Amino acid sequence: MISRLTIRRLVLISTITTLVSLGLMVMGIVFPKPVLLVLAMSLGQLFGTLSLALYLLAIVLDLQGVGEHDDIGPHIRLEGEAGEEETKG
Amino acid sequence: MVFRAAVYEIHSIEQLLKLTALVAAVISILILLWYLVRRPPLGRLTKVMLLFGLGVMPLGVALTGNIAGFEYTLKRPFCGSCHVMLPYTEDAADPSSNSLAAIHSRNHAFGEESCYNCHADYQLFGAMTTKVNGLKHLFYYVTEYANTGPYGEGGKPIHMYRSFQNGMCTRCHSTTAPNWLRNQDHAGMLDDIRKGDAKCVDCHSGEKIHPRAFAHGGKGRGPVAEAGQKEEHK
Repeated sequence: MISRLTIRRLVLISTITTLVSLGLMVMGIVFPKPVLLVLAMSLGQLFGTLSLALYLLAIVLDLQGVGEHDDIGPHIRLEGEAGEEETKG
Repeated sequence: MVFRAAVYEIHSIEQLLKLTALVAAVISILILLWYLVRRPPLGRLTKVMLLFGLGVMPLGVALTGNIAGFEYTLKRPFCGSCHVMLPYTEDAADPSSNSLAAIHSRNHAFGEESCYNCHADYQLFGAMTTKVNGLKHLFYYVTEYANTGPYGEGGKPIHMYRSFQNGMCTRCHSTTAPNWLRNQDHAGMLDDIRKGDAKCVDCHSGEKIHPRAFAHGGKGRGPVAEAGQKEEHK
């Protein structure tokens, strides 16, 4: 079952994977040694593509309104929900 | 100030691309760290910011980084990254050397790309096959040569995948220039040279192109450590 938490997790995984991918690509640029260049152009870009795909999947799920009524805890509420609570308070 | 200094250091498209890639990477990393630290709700602003941090900026890094990376792979310092190539690249870069590789490297048309200009394939997919061969080189380097001596001593003799083709020379030495034809050997073998029956390297052999490398055991000979020491004492 896909919940709101799954969407948040997808974005989180995507963010971390992108950081790894950027790290590999920057290493290839700063230290252009053969092994690092090959890693940057293969694994770096594979991770980058994967993370973008995960993020787009998360956005599509979010736009479809998946798990809109889930109780997902106070730290991962949507902007709108947070605003509503402040108004109520 | 740092950025200004970096801009003044830009002398080529490759350096500009590298700087662009690094700036895009820094912007992307800042956006992602902001998201990881603050963990804001997935509102419209966050989604747009993340689209830049996860998509637009990393794509920019990949694109500019790839072009800069491929440009760098054409250069002699990159070929010399694998220490077994040092006898070749050091000689080519030596301003006092009279080897063919060094003479060609001093020519502005070749410059730092002298290795690539003479050794790359020139067919339709020449750049591609050259890069694939480069991957093979890397594999062999890691598996067979990584632990060899400073100039590859102790490793298997280095050789080319196939014999050096005349086309690599005749691309510049078109066989029609009066000075070139004035040489009796050239004029006498003109048809054979053009057909490829007579190889340029039959006369202009490896010892004349890369003498320092041949002293270290290129083309089928075992690398000899003393060869380098003798040369260094000269």
